[in-house]
Amino acid sequence: MPTMDIYREAIRRTLTQRAGDAPDANAVAEAAISTWQKTAAQIAPVIGVGGIDVLFNRSLHLTCIAFPWLTIVGDHRDHSALLANIKAHLASRDTDIAVEAGCTLLVTFTELLISLIGESLVERLLGPVWVPLLPGSEQENKS
Amino acid sequence: MNSKVTINRLHTGVPGLDAILGGGLPELSFNLIVGPPGSGKTTLAHQIMFALATREQPALFFTVLGEPPLKMLRYQQQFSFFDFDKVNESIRFVNLSDDFATGNFEQVLERIAQEVEAYSPALVIVDSFRPVMLEAQHQSKGVLSLQLFIQQLGTQLSGWQATTFLVGEFLSKSDPHPVLTVADGLLSLDQSVYRNSMVRKMQVLKMRGQETLPGMHTFRITSTGIEIFPAAVILVDAGDAPVTSGVLRSNKRLTMGVPRLDEMLGGGLPSGYSLLVAGPSGSGKTILATAFLAEGVRLGEAGVIVAFEQTPSQSWIRTLDDMIRAGQIGLINNRSLDLSIDEIVQRLINLIQ
Repeated sequence: MPTMDIYREAIRRTLTQRAGDAPDANAVAEAAISTWQKTAAQIAPVIGVGGIDVLFNRSLHLTCIAFPWLTIVGDHRDHSALLANIKAHLASRDTDIAVEAGCTLLVTFTELLISLIGESLVERLLGPVWVPLLPGSEQENKS
Repeated sequence: MNSKVTINRLHTGVPGLDAILGGGLPELSFNLIVGPPGSGKTTLAHQIMFALATREQPALFFTVLGEPPLKMLRYQQQFSFFDFDKVNESIRFVNLSDDFATGNFEQVLERIAQEVEAYSPALVIVDSFRPVMLEAQHQSKGVLSLQLFIQQLGTQLSGWQATTFLVGEFLSKSDPHPVLTVADGLLSLDQSVYRNSMVRKMQVLKMRGQETLPGMHTFRITSTGIEIFPAAVILVDAGDAPVTSGVLRSNKRLTMGVPRLDEMLGGGLPSGYSLLVAGPSGSGKTILATAFLAEGVRLGEAGVIVAFEQTPSQSWIRTLDDMIRAGQIGLINNRSLDLSIDEIVQRLINLIQ
């Protein structure tokens, strides 16, 4: 399995577990934003808030190609306002679509970071954010 | 009880650096690495950090307004010393650009203090300090001056038992910056272009408490990082002890591999002598040298050849090439484009040893 799929799986697992059992779009939006905040908290000491904002805005731009309804018009410099806006957009969609869009945004950010500083370092920095595989889970049984 | 303090010397992990520092990096020292852009300052700091950082003796790397941390991490990980397992375990990167944006040095000092207290590092690096200097010029009076800021930082970091490096471009020969007096150690990096060759040089301008190797030392940056070739220094014969070395005083003669020449020399070349063979092209200098090396190989003596103009494999003298391929003779094939005598001497010493 390519490494990128491992990240994809880890992000999806983190998002769905944080959203809880039988989640609605609101819970998914909540989980997506909190996962992002944990990601940002992990990276910010290393690359600074300015560096994160640039990568996040680029990730959002790329995500909007697949999910045009996530396009947020206006000033992106106020990061907390932007997050609140994204959360509202996610919460207004069907649960499945909200999960897809939330995952895509987080995965795009991770891939962008990987393209700049490599998988090994991203794994070191973001590993603590992702929910680990539980022993005996489907993934582990496969290996 | 009047024993003086013992300064531990840390092994920097940079080949040649411990030697020019006079035995290693003094523990708890406050050092500066200075030099123009591209001279290898960040690489040197990283290489030292990755060598020294352990779980028990962690390192903190503060990035300031200079090179964006994303770029720094992107490029520095290309070096083989960049150990991913140490990141966030024994090495932490902390970005201070947001704090510097406020322009308040006291706040920056406070932030550094918080991080250092929280992480208890044995090694602290602040890269780069030039922006701090520039910012300082725009400071209004009344706030913490830069000199005071650096001095407080130096005092605090020694107090926190950390060996510190400040990395920056600040070095003007005409106007030495006051920060230089605060530092215990000062490493100056330089690069110059001579004809087609780029020569990198390093100088230890200051290292309190120990005798350093004076002069400019050549260094090279490769995929494994920085390697320094300490300038060849001839040991001074103080004259207080007679030279009793067996080699120098032996009457042994080495045969040249040319029987008639050995006779003319009175039995061969005296052991330990240097012999200059001069003559026009085609007069047989290489043939004579090859005969000497071949005679050594015949008698079980290893030899070394440094080639400047032609490589032995191109030579019509097969014997030399065969001996090199058989591992009986060591070869240093010089790259004429970046000629550095110190590097050749260092490689020669390694090969002889």
